Amino acid sequence: MLSGATPLETLVPDAPEIRAFDIEPVALPDVEILQWSFEVAAGEVTELYPPALHPTLPPMAMIVAWSAPDSPWGAFELAQVRLSCRSGARPRGFLVGAVIDNAAAGGALAEHWGLRARVGRVAVERYYDAARVEVALDGDTILAVRGDDPDPLQPNDIQLFAAMHAARTPAGLRLVQFDPTWELTRAERYAPVLEAFDADGWGQPRLEPNYPVVAFGARANGTLPRLRFATRPDVNAFEGAETLG
Amino acid sequence: MKFGIFYELSVPRPFGGGIEKTVYDNALEQIRVADEVGFDTVWAVEHHFLEEYSHCSAPELFLTAAAMCTSRIRVGHGAVVCVPEMNHPVRVAERAAVLDILSGGRLEFGTARSSTWTELAGFEADPDTTKKTWDEFVRTIPGMWMEERFSHDGVCFSMPERAVLPKPVQDPHPPMWVTVTSPGTELDAAERGLGSLGVATASFEEQERRLTEYRRRIRNCDPVGGAVNDQVATLNFLYCDPDIDEAARLGVPMLGAFNVANAHLLFTREAYPTRAYGLLANLAPGRRGRRAKEDNPGARAGIPEGMAIGDPHHLVRVMKEWESLGVDQVNFLLNAMEMIPQEQVLASLRLFAAEVMPQFRREAA
Repeated sequence: MLSGATPLETLVPDAPEIRAFDIEPVALPDVEILQWSFEVAAGEVTELYPPALHPTLPPMAMIVAWSAPDSPWGAFELAQVRLSCRSGARPRGFLVGAVIDNAAAGGALAEHWGLRARVGRVAVERYYDAARVEVALDGDTILAVRGDDPDPLQPNDIQLFAAMHAARTPAGLRLVQFDPTWELTRAERYAPVLEAFDADGWGQPRLEPNYPVVAFGARANGTLPRLRFATRPDVNAFEGAETLG
Repeated sequence: MKFGIFYELSVPRPFGGGIEKTVYDNALEQIRVADEVGFDTVWAVEHHFLEEYSHCSAPELFLTAAAMCTSRIRVGHGAVVCVPEMNHPVRVAERAAVLDILSGGRLEFGTARSSTWTELAGFEADPDTTKKTWDEFVRTIPGMWMEERFSHDGVCFSMPERAVLPKPVQDPHPPMWVTVTSPGTELDAAERGLGSLGVATASFEEQERRLTEYRRRIRNCDPVGGAVNDQVATLNFLYCDPDIDEAARLGVPMLGAFNVANAHLLFTREAYPTRAYGLLANLAPGRRGRRAKEDNPGARAGIPEGMAIGDPHHLVRVMKEWESLGVDQVNFLLNAMEMIPQEQVLASLRLFAAEVMPQFRREAA
């Protein structure tokens, strides 16, 4: 199996700190979820992952956007870029970068789940005939994606995977497994269109989305549970998985 | 009960240094031995772009080589991908007929539709339509073999009247199968009079449930071909050693390597939400039919039930259990990622043939 080749501290020099894992689950009702997938060039793909993770072939960049109208920190819109991978034998997404429009929510997501997000402008928009997400930092657009021609799906046609976040924990730098639970009430598929992607803006200049795969949307009631698993970043999960708490 | 061997032709990295040739040469040597010692069928998959997991992209060539170096064992396309972007149905019929001729009427003809995004997207095939195109292939290919001239006005292909040549040796045509990965595909097989070629085995309990329904439905099938094939085959692993601990020492890591490689495939449902693919991934061999708990990434699977890894006494017991469910054929993967040295693979084949197979052949006789 291919494994990542870049130390996690190099990939994520600004990993947030998680001091404690014993938090109560947080409910996120009526979240609008939009997700795009694009294959990325596989030439030097192992450089995009830490040794603990294995790229899928082909590797895919997954753009995951949430519009959460209600949370303990108020409404927020969040956009993430993840890379498809395996942790052990499990499908996961390795968090490359994120932008959020609510600093309090961003702080809580980093502190409790290792989801580091810079504060910027995130617009998550769903129309009857399309969906669109646009993200800007300091006035510069770093992402614009569109989904056309919605095609209704059954909610159970959609698969939402856990993510792996870099975080500094009491045990050291780890990949923590972020595994929200979602109850989907609506789902549809779109034709994906990438209008703008600034790899530098997402902190990974070698990331080149080059082949559209799919986009989909869903309405869901979510729960952010406490973290349960982490893995050492330097060895595969069969050797380095740890149970938290 | 019949016994077959089954090839994905997995190749470990690094790919240089002749490792692919070694894998192919080892497989052909195993097939020669399997032919000599009494195995019934050799199957080969068709996969594309699946690095390490399967470098078997031209099974009709591999199986031709297998047929040319054997005299008795049947050769099984396990299976031809019935997706028009990958294979035109006329070419499928032609190649299969040639292989049936060259093998002296030893072809088993399996059909499939591919289950990974890696393969489907590589040919720009639409995952939503593969079930329909597979159906059109299996309903038309028998006509190409049986009719002097054939024409078709369909959805995924059309053609004016032509003689599709040559015709297969077997009358009316080679036995037809469909590979079964997703639960429910065995019902598609039954309704069309096709054999059920399990390529991702289920547990005893799951297999029994599927078999019962398959048998019930195929009694009233509307066959797509000139003959009904009502056989059920399941996939397994084989490592047979006089010492059960030694069998586990070599056989279990081989099984684990295959399962991990399988789990690393990018299955269609993972990349592309569609109603046409019901499973997120293959059922790993021997796993139960429920969705695996998506939790601890460090968890290993262990040895699933029903695996043919052990000493001859253990393997007789395991095969008896499969036989009691009504499975007609068990096909074995002999190696994965070349983890077991070739001499030991051959010794395992010979030991199984000498001490396990007779327990089943005697009763049949």
